Amino acid sequence: MADIKSMIAEFEEIALNPAKSAAKLKKESGKKLIGMFPYHLPEEIVYAAGMLPVGMWGGQTDFKLSNKYLQSFCCSLIKANVEFGMNGAYKGILDGVIMAAYCDTLKCICEDWKVAVVEPTGMPLIAMYYPQNRKIAAAVPYMQAEFEKAQAQLEAISGKKVTEADLEAAWTVYEAYRAECRKFVKLVAKMPATLNATKRHLILKAGWFMDKKAYTEKLAALNAAIEAAPAEAFKGKKVLVEGIIVEPIALLDAFVENDVCIVADDVAQQSRMFRIEGRKAGTVYEKMAYRIVDAYADPLLLDEKKEHGEELIKMAKEAGADGVVVCAMKFCDPEEYDYPIFKKQLEAAGIPVLYMEIEQQMASVEQYKTRIQAFAETLA
Amino acid sequence: MYFLGIDIGSSSSKCVIIDENKNIVGRAVKNIGTGTNGPSVVIGEALAKAGITEEQIDFTVATGYGRANHTQADKQITEISCHGKGVAHLVPGARTIIDIGGQDAKVIKLSETGNVDNFVMNEKCAAGTGRFLEVMARILNCELSELSELAKKSTEEVEISNTCTVFAESEVISQLAQGTKREDVAMGANHSITSRVAGLARRIGITPIVVMTGGVAINDSVVHSMEEQIGYDITVAPDPQACGALGAALFALESFNKKNN
Amino acid sequence: MEQEKISSKQMLNDLMADHYQSALDAKANGELVCWATSIAPQELLTTMGVKVVYPENQAAAIGARKEAQKFIDDSEGKGYSVDLCSYARVNFGYAALKDSEAQNVPMPDFIYTCSNICHTVLKWYENLAKELNIPMIVFDLPFNHTYDVQDHAAKYMKGQIEEAIKRLEKITKKKFDQDKFKAVMEQSNATSQMWKDATLVAKAKPSPLNGFDLFNYMAAIVTNRGTKAGYELFKRWKEELEAKAAAGQGPWKPGEEEKFRVMWDGIACWPYLGPTYKGLKNNGINMVTSTYPDSWTILYDNGDIEGMAKAYSGIYCNSNLQNGIDRITNIVNDFSLDGIVFHSNRSCKLLDFRQFEQQRQIEEKCGVATVLFDGDQTDPRAFSTEQYNTRIQAFLETLENKKEERRKG
Repeated sequence: MADIKSMIAEFEEIALNPAKSAAKLKKESGKKLIGMFPYHLPEEIVYAAGMLPVGMWGGQTDFKLSNKYLQSFCCSLIKANVEFGMNGAYKGILDGVIMAAYCDTLKCICEDWKVAVVEPTGMPLIAMYYPQNRKIAAAVPYMQAEFEKAQAQLEAISGKKVTEADLEAAWTVYEAYRAECRKFVKLVAKMPATLNATKRHLILKAGWFMDKKAYTEKLAALNAAIEAAPAEAFKGKKVLVEGIIVEPIALLDAFVENDVCIVADDVAQQSRMFRIEGRKAGTVYEKMAYRIVDAYADPLLLDEKKEHGEELIKMAKEAGADGVVVCAMKFCDPEEYDYPIFKKQLEAAGIPVLYMEIEQQMASVEQYKTRIQAFAETLA
Repeated sequence: MYFLGIDIGSSSSKCVIIDENKNIVGRAVKNIGTGTNGPSVVIGEALAKAGITEEQIDFTVATGYGRANHTQADKQITEISCHGKGVAHLVPGARTIIDIGGQDAKVIKLSETGNVDNFVMNEKCAAGTGRFLEVMARILNCELSELSELAKKSTEEVEISNTCTVFAESEVISQLAQGTKREDVAMGANHSITSRVAGLARRIGITPIVVMTGGVAINDSVVHSMEEQIGYDITVAPDPQACGALGAALFALESFNKKNN
Repeated sequence: MEQEKISSKQMLNDLMADHYQSALDAKANGELVCWATSIAPQELLTTMGVKVVYPENQAAAIGARKEAQKFIDDSEGKGYSVDLCSYARVNFGYAALKDSEAQNVPMPDFIYTCSNICHTVLKWYENLAKELNIPMIVFDLPFNHTYDVQDHAAKYMKGQIEEAIKRLEKITKKKFDQDKFKAVMEQSNATSQMWKDATLVAKAKPSPLNGFDLFNYMAAIVTNRGTKAGYELFKRWKEELEAKAAAGQGPWKPGEEEKFRVMWDGIACWPYLGPTYKGLKNNGINMVTSTYPDSWTILYDNGDIEGMAKAYSGIYCNSNLQNGIDRITNIVNDFSLDGIVFHSNRSCKLLDFRQFEQQRQIEEKCGVATVLFDGDQTDPRAFSTEQYNTRIQAFLETLENKKEERRKG
C-alpha cells in the first residue's frame, strides 16, 4: 500500500506541474519537445522522429493577451493555450506545436496562432486536418498524405529522417501505452478511495508530460500493485464522467469530498484518446489512420449513427456506475450538440445525469460542490 | 425533543426549529448570509421563540451556500434536498419546485413519494437569479420589495430581450431615457427572469403541482408571470424563504431517529 | 415577352414562393424531400431532381419575422446551449413544432450537409439524422490551413462526391444521369457567374445597390444556383442595377446621398434588419457588398470533379486567415470602400475567432475605418440597438476623419 501511495505521488508531482515536468523531461532526455494541442494527433511520428510529444491541455491563467484574438465566448481550454503561447510560457520548452482542426474554434486558433505565436517566436506550427467523413475509402489515403506532410515538417525540426522501422517502434510504444491506460481505468473501481477522482486524473494526466515508454513502465508497475492489493471497501457513489477535460483540481476534489468515485470516463483527455486499439495489419500510417476510422461515439469525429448515448449507457452499466456526470466544457460546440440527445437516452435508460457547465479556470467551485453533493444525495 | 434546521444562503440566513411531531416551534429569517453573524442571530431568535436553549436541540442540519462553515451542525445536506424535503412536507403531491435565490435559480423535480428525482441549476450568468431583480430595482430606484407593486401598475408590455444582465441594464436605462414607464420596466424585468427560469424548468420537464420557494416567490407578480410562462398554476410555499431551513429541520429529525434506532 | 415587364423583386418573390410551395407539394405527393446546407454541392441533388429546402434560409426568414424565440425556447428546453448556433436552435425547434408563421417547409426524408461553411453543420445534421431517423449524406471539406486547396484534400472530396452519388442512387432508387449532371454543372456555373456579375455592378459610384437587398437576393442563390430560373432572376437584377448605375442613381431615394461605402462581414442580424439598416443609412453609409457574393460564386470546368471540389472547398469561410484578408482587401479596392462593418455574431465561432486579427490587418493594409458590433444572426437576445447605434456613430466619426485626412492629402 505504501508502495502504491509513493507511485501515485510521483505521477501527481508530474501532473500538477506541467511546465516544470516538461522542462525536466527536455533536460533529462536531451530531446526536442513537440506540443500537442488537444485531440487525436500523430504522436507516433513525433516519437519516431526522435522527439517527445507533450500535452497542451490549457492550465490556470488569466486571459489577458489572448483577448487580442478571441471573444469572451471561446472555449477556455483552447484560449488558455493561446494565452500561454503569447505570454512565453512555452518558450524554451516546446520546439514546435501540432494542432488539428476538430471544431470551428480550432480552425480559427490554428490561424491566429500563426500570427500570435509563430510570427514573433519562430516556433513552428504543424497545422493538420483529420477527416470527418472517415468511414469512406478516400479518408485513409487522405490521412496518409496528412501524416506524410507532418512527417516532413517534423523531420525538419528534429533533423532526423524517419524510417518505417522508427515508425513501427513508436507504434509499439504507443499501443502498449494505450493498453496500459485501458487496464488502469478498469482497475480504479477496485480501490475507489486510494484512486479517488483527483488521483485518477493526475495519474492519467502525468502521461502527457513523460516519455510514453517510461510512463508505460511506471503505470504497468502501478497496475500490477493494484492487482496484487486487496479491494477497498467503499460506501460512496460511483459515476461515469463525460466531457473534454475534468478540471480544475478543486472540481475533482469536490467529487472526493462527497465520496463520489469516477469508475469510468468518456473524457477527451482520457479514455477517448486510448480506448481504440490499433489494427494489426498494414503500414504504420494505415494503422494510425484506422484508429480514426475505428473510433466510435466520439463527439469530435463524425458519427452518422450518433452512438454517443448508447455508448454512455453501455459504459455506465459495465462500470457499475450509479449515474453520469456531464462536465460540459463551456463553449464547446461538439459537446453541446451531443448533450440533449444523450441526456434523453440516459433518462430513458433510467440512468441519473448531472449536467455541469465548466471552465478550466473557474475561480470558485462552490456551486459545483453543492451540485455534486446533491447529486450524490439523490443517488442515495 | 427539538430539531434545528439552518439555511445559510449567500444573502440571507434562515432558521427553523421543530419538535418531534414536526410542529414548527421557532423560526427566524435575516437578510444577511454566510460570513456574517446572520446564522447565529437567526438561531438565537428561533431558540427564543421556541423558548428553549441550544442544549435542548437534539440534532442540527445545516444547508445552503454556507453549510460547510457551520461547524456546530451534526450534518450538512444540500439546499436542493432540503427544499425538496420542506416542500414535500408543506405541499403534499408537489412534483416541481422552482426556487429563485440571490445567486442561484434551481428547478427540482420530486418523485411521487416526495424524493428529489432530478434538479437543474442556472449556470454562471446572473440573468435568471434574484440578483437580476436587485439590479433592476436599483435602476428603477426602488426597494426590491416594492418591485412587485410597481409591476402590477404596468399598462404596457415592454420586452427586455437581452440575456445578459449587463446588456439588460443598458437596455433598461435607454428605455427609461426614452420615456418608458417604470411600472412597465418592472413588469418587463419580471418577464425576463421568469422566461429564463422557465427555460431551465423545461430542461427537466414540468409536472404539477408546481411550487415556488425562495425570497423571490414573495413577489406575486413574478409568480404570476411564471405561471404564464410555464402554463401551470403555481402554489407559493407557505413561508417560502424558510422552506430550505424547514427541510433541514425535518432531515435533522429523520437523522436523529435513524441514529437512535 | 411578358416576363420582361416583371421586376427582379417580383421575380424573386415568385421564385421563393414557388420554391417552398413546390417542396410542400412534392412532400404531399410522396416525393422525397431533402434538407441541405447553403453551399453544398447542389449539383448532385439537382441532377437527381430531388426537392431541396435549406434550413438556414428558413431560419433567416423566421429570424427576420421576429419569430425565432419560440423555436429557440423549445430547443433550449431540450438542453441545447444558448451558445450554439441560433440557426441550429431555430431548426431543431422547427423540426419539433413543425409550424411557423414566417415559412413552413416539408420535413426531410434525408439530409445533405457540407462542412465548407462550418463544422457546426456536421453536428447539427448529425442530430437531425438521429432525431428524425433518416439518412445523412456528408461532405467534409477540410479547412484550408494552406493558402490554396491541396490536391490530396481535393481527392478526398472527390471520393466523397462519388460516394454521395452512390448513396443518392440508393435513397432515390434512381440512376444518376451523367449527361444531366453535365447540363446541371453548366447551368450552375452560369447562374453563379450571373449572381457574381450582378453584385459587381455595385462597384459603380454611387452604388445602385443597397446591400441589404443583397441579403434578400441571397435566398435565391442558395435555392436556385442550379436552375435557369435563378439565372434569369440575377440577369434581370443585373440589368436593373446597370440601368440605375447608368442613370447615376444611388442606393436610396433621390436626394439621399451615399456618403460612405462599406462592406459587411458576417451574416446579417436578421431579427434587427431594420435597426442595423437604418443605423447605417441614416448616417449616409451604404453597405455595398459583403463576403457573401463570392461565397456562392462556385466556378469550375464542366466535368472536372476535383475542380468542383476545390471550388466548394475554397470559399471564404473555409479559407485561411491570409487568404481571407486578401479577399477582403480586394473587395475594399474593387468596390472603393471607406470602411468595414464586422458583425461579431454570437452564433458563428468560425467567423468570429478570426475577426479581430482580420480587422487589425485590413485596417493597416487598406487604411479603411472599421467597426465591430455584437449581435446574432437569429437570436433576438444577443443584440442591443442602443449599443449598435453608439458604435456606428463612432464609426461615422472615423469615416469622416479619414475622408478629411484624404481631402487634405
